[in-house]
Amino acid sequence: MNKLFSIFLLALVFSCAEESDPATDKANFTRIYDNNKFDGSYYPIDAKQTPDGGYLILAGRRLAASNFNGAYLLKTDELGAFVSELELPSSIVAPIGPLLETGGKYYFFSMTTNNYQTQLSEVDATGAVSKTTLVGGSYPSAAFNDNGNFLLLRYDNFSQQSIVSIVNPAGSVSKSIGYTIGAGDGVEEKFITHFLRTGRQFPFQVGKTTGGQYFFNGFYNYTFSLVFTDLTATTPIGVVQGQQADGGFSGILPLDGNRFATARFNFGDNYLIPSVTISPTGISSIVNRKDLEGNNLPELTTNAVVKIVSVSTNGKDMVLYGSNTRSKQIVLLAYDKATGKFLGSRYLGFSNPFEIASISSTLDGGLAVCGTTFVAGRFPRICLFKISKEELGKSFK
Amino acid sequence: MRKLYLIVILLSLSLGALAQGKKRNGSFNTAKTNPNQFLQQQWWLGFKAGVNVAQADPSKRYSILTPTNYSSSVTDKQYDAFKELGLQTTIEITYYYKGFYFSVQPSYISSNFTYSNQLEWVNSTNISETLTQTYKQNQKIEYADLPFLIKYDITGSKLRPFVQVGVFYSILLNAVKTVNVSSLDVASGGTNTINSPPLIVGSKDLFSNYWGVIGGVGVSYQLGNVRLVLDATYRQSLSNIANPQNRFSNDRLSGIGDAQDDLNLKNIMVSAGVLFPMRYLSSSFKSNDR
Repeated sequence: MNKLFSIFLLALVFSCAEESDPATDKANFTRIYDNNKFDGSYYPIDAKQTPDGGYLILAGRRLAASNFNGAYLLKTDELGAFVSELELPSSIVAPIGPLLETGGKYYFFSMTTNNYQTQLSEVDATGAVSKTTLVGGSYPSAAFNDNGNFLLLRYDNFSQQSIVSIVNPAGSVSKSIGYTIGAGDGVEEKFITHFLRTGRQFPFQVGKTTGGQYFFNGFYNYTFSLVFTDLTATTPIGVVQGQQADGGFSGILPLDGNRFATARFNFGDNYLIPSVTISPTGISSIVNRKDLEGNNLPELTTNAVVKIVSVSTNGKDMVLYGSNTRSKQIVLLAYDKATGKFLGSRYLGFSNPFEIASISSTLDGGLAVCGTTFVAGRFPRICLFKISKEELGKSFK
Repeated sequence: MRKLYLIVILLSLSLGALAQGKKRNGSFNTAKTNPNQFLQQQWWLGFKAGVNVAQADPSKRYSILTPTNYSSSVTDKQYDAFKELGLQTTIEITYYYKGFYFSVQPSYISSNFTYSNQLEWVNSTNISETLTQTYKQNQKIEYADLPFLIKYDITGSKLRPFVQVGVFYSILLNAVKTVNVSSLDVASGGTNTINSPPLIVGSKDLFSNYWGVIGGVGVSYQLGNVRLVLDATYRQSLSNIANPQNRFSNDRLSGIGDAQDDLNLKNIMVSAGVLFPMRYLSSSFKSNDR
């Protein structure tokens, strides 16, 4: 009997050893997609998990023969392992995110090199482009998936207007409205350097509130502003003005009603506002509103890129901010979605610089964070962090 | 800590079972008829210390750096074979019965294994412009080791060569990784060798407890009532020493593209020590009578 008990204990003890398994490998991983070309340069724009569990990453790539950046698609498997890549023709430049998913396909806007016309590319879940359609109009800046139709914010360099359009997946524009950015070259120059990526990258955004109100975050009347529109009236129904190009919203996430999770920049400083009510009507200024003071985060880079997503994990609804720190890491900051209470933070990356591109939920309740890292301190490459819901639970309590 | 208790219970039971068996086999009257019967068993207590070399064998490879236009084998780590010295200290508790030794040897073992990999980037418009980076990693792991061994003396002379086999369970105490990154930059207008200060990172989270088997040979020399022991053992883990849950958890290492492979560990250990008999000692008795 003693011997049997000993054997049982022996088996119990030895079974405590850790063995890897596919579920663990899928739940958490870090990948850096490297190309051995010294002059290769990639910056991710968005990553989406595909139905096979893999990831589709839209990125920009440096083009030797153009001032604009080209488009690049990378497909991985569910472990983040490389499956395929596609360098789109150099006639497709300045791609923007997010990857817009509808009908089992993924879409993204880009620009032609000929007359800088907007075009819409359709991509399947394997990362292959099935068609590219000319939409018309110039300089696409931001897009949003509105239940299968796409909202598009673009800059029209002829009329010098920020234009919001509804585009269907076939590339047809059903509605459009434009608002002046202001006369003269001052604002236009900022657009051009944004598109060439030689200047500041402005947080252009377009979207729709839960109440059905359209909005865009872009230049209006010389100022980087949050503009509410019904897509009909030539005058916005509401504006929260920024400080010319030095102050404004760096990210907006509609929560419920007129409540938003936002972030703002002000002459380089960054403020996070996890819960604020913003009326879509009337005109106000971001600098005069006490309710938009927010939490100052000096650790973030000057005029930091801020990505805001709503995440439900471990039975908790939260607003997750992703941004870049001065220590060259990606930081995730979580706040309770209902109360705005701080829940925790998590830092990604070290040793080499890391910069955020996108955050998205995964099928297993985890998170995929896509960004740029500089391999060997110099080569811009795409990185992908997969974080399991268990790990999220440890970081955000 | 619960695992440690389990081990202690297990070993106690094992030795207890042996002791129980011993009682059944002997009796007071039998001992009387055979005056050497009581000498057929003995307890030994001793101390050993020595050095070891280790080699890690990847059972499944992982890499953070994922090539898109070159072979993924380039990112494979090259593991060195038994290169760096480690240390171990051992307390030996041995029960001798009819020519066999049943030994528990709790040990502190500090091992080092090393690996490296190299990456190169080439300017496609001028192939003479390159950057080569070499990553050399030294992984120190410290374990509390709980082996159970059966030893057998090949001869019964004063100098006794022996063989031993057994199993062990290792409990992780600590781990530290040192990463040396050197670069050869032939793209900045000359040939520039860059040696960065080593990155030293606590890596305990990347490893786990494991178990394995041991085999070895040795020799003991009777010196008065004590035995001097010199032994060499080969240890082979039979489970993964890495912790898959935390493979990517260390941002300092992930940032430079290092992910822990699943590993089996081999050790060659040489120890020397002394054993003291614990039973029936008197001034007229020499433990080498048996």
